[in-house]
Amino acid sequence: MSFTSFQTEFDKMMSRDYFSDKVHPMREEAFSKFIEMGLPTKKWEDWRFTNLSSISEREFRISEIQDAPNSDIDISQYDINDLDTIVIYNGHYQESLSSMPSGVQLVSGLEYLSKTNWEFKSPETSPFDLLNTAFMDSGMSFMVDQNVVVEKPIRMLFISAGLESLMVTPRIHVDLGESSSLTFIEHHVGDSTSFFQNESVFISLGQNAQLDHIRIQSNSISTSNIANINVCQNSDSQYYFFQYADGSQLNRLNIKTKLIGEGANCAINGLALSNGTQHLDHHIITDHLVPNCTSSQNFKSILQDQSSGVFNGRTIVWQNAQKTDSNQSNKNLLLSKNALMNSNPQLEIYADDVKCAHGSSTGALGEDALFYLRSRGLNVLSAKALLVRGFATELLDKVKHGGIRDFITDRFDLWLMENTKE
Amino acid sequence: MLEIKNLYGGVEGKTILNGINLSIKPGEMHAIMGRNGSGKSTLSNIITGRDGYMVTKGDVLFNGESILDWSPEARALAGIFMSFQYPVVIPGVNNTYFLKAALNAKRKNAGKKELDAVGFLKLIKEKLKEVDMDPKYLQRAVNDGFSGGEKKRNEILQMLTLEPKLAILDETDSGLDIDALKIVADGVNRYRNSNRSFLVITHYQRLLNYIEPDFVHVLIDGKFVKSGGKELALELEEKGYNWLE
Repeated sequence: MSFTSFQTEFDKMMSRDYFSDKVHPMREEAFSKFIEMGLPTKKWEDWRFTNLSSISEREFRISEIQDAPNSDIDISQYDINDLDTIVIYNGHYQESLSSMPSGVQLVSGLEYLSKTNWEFKSPETSPFDLLNTAFMDSGMSFMVDQNVVVEKPIRMLFISAGLESLMVTPRIHVDLGESSSLTFIEHHVGDSTSFFQNESVFISLGQNAQLDHIRIQSNSISTSNIANINVCQNSDSQYYFFQYADGSQLNRLNIKTKLIGEGANCAINGLALSNGTQHLDHHIITDHLVPNCTSSQNFKSILQDQSSGVFNGRTIVWQNAQKTDSNQSNKNLLLSKNALMNSNPQLEIYADDVKCAHGSSTGALGEDALFYLRSRGLNVLSAKALLVRGFATELLDKVKHGGIRDFITDRFDLWLMENTKE
Repeated sequence: MLEIKNLYGGVEGKTILNGINLSIKPGEMHAIMGRNGSGKSTLSNIITGRDGYMVTKGDVLFNGESILDWSPEARALAGIFMSFQYPVVIPGVNNTYFLKAALNAKRKNAGKKELDAVGFLKLIKEKLKEVDMDPKYLQRAVNDGFSGGEKKRNEILQMLTLEPKLAILDETDSGLDIDALKIVADGVNRYRNSNRSFLVITHYQRLLNYIEPDFVHVLIDGKFVKSGGKELALELEEKGYNWLE
């Protein structure tokens, strides 16, 4: 997408009278910085392995009212038992398809800003952060009061559909009060033929709060999906993140967790499945700013055909952050000779009394294991499927909610069936 | 049951077997003894069809049919089983799930109904008793975190579950203490009957105190240099291999 096109779309955005004037200066500032910075290229350290041509060489327009469905659509294929769902279709909230969760305040982006005294969170670490601020047009925010335990998980179902090349920019805030807890699911689906989603999520966890954050990224294969997730954790809070990704031409996950209160713990996990020419990319930063926190990163990619992937995990332990306990693991399975994985686990440690470990391995299915299974009567396809399933089990088991785990596991098995070759 | 005819073969272009002849009839237990590098493992790998092992001359027949072109799974389904010298650890694959999948592949191939979870559990509990194995091993990943002895018991458990016609026990005694050895041997002995055959591959005579072979063959440089009854094993234990060279 050219700058001229970005500018045209931005002008359209600014002329929308239903957006608050209060936000306009923030949008304008972010947009001009974005224009200055430009889209990342492979010369940028954090984007070395990532080809952004699926964004830079296509034209997108912002979503308009006519891109919302005329009548209720059927979402039964995305059913997951026992949760509340908020449906966003091409960037438009679908009230009639959504169920209102209890125990949380669900507010629009604007309401959120007014409730938080217009204190605007706007990181500028990448052009996509800026682009999100400039173009944010959808999403919802959740606020959970202190001591409230939200029993039923809340899912935001993002459907991208149709033949139009749309650019949709969701912005989500999740604020958990002291000792509250929530399970939040982002579920990205749809049959869109060309789509660019650039989502930003801001999470703030109060003391002793707990968030289970699950991201299911199953967009259609011709889409580009960028996620910028920023987490801030106060003392004794727990953050569990799990991404299951099998969709999109390009999926880029940027997730940054700041541990600012002692005793906080985060576990950032992900399982990525790719085939064709998909590129699934993970950039994780865990920032230990205070003592006595624990963190882990555990990502696995399974790559078929000419697909590629990136794991770039960084754990930073600042001088003050003594007694940090952190672990990084990245394991990858290449199902094809043409698949490519770039794995780069990094530790940056300035404290001297810490326990930090990291490891990475990439390889094909083990010949010995394959022969062992075949010698027990399993055919090549079953044996391979069993081994791949075994490789992923550790991560699938990390999903605590039974209904979500079953949904993801079924999806995984389907992928496995379609992608296991002799 | 198993007929090996003038077999030459090896691995990675290296000829290791130099004309093996062996005939195992139903109900017979044969032991092959030999030092490291004599070709024992090459022979078992060729019989079970491991990739990378090639046959340059001769044939292997199972129930009258040449099996050299068969896949490992086809051989397994026909009734050939090998207890591995080094059972493979398979992280993430539940032992029960694996055993059930293997048994059902076999039942399906034989035109029998596949067992459901309940039916399988009932069957496997019986088999577990026979090898004195704690049911907790069923819930673990295949051989993951198992001691040497537990791995070998798990192999025998698989044998008892899959009920092969021919079982190859490749160095099953290695890594076993004497108690575990007795348990494994008892499992094998109970499994013996007039229709089932065994090929026991071992370095030492020790195992043969507990599993009595009908025939003993001595393998040196890829050839059987001497065959005899069980007394041959004792003679080897006493004299070593050098007098046969």
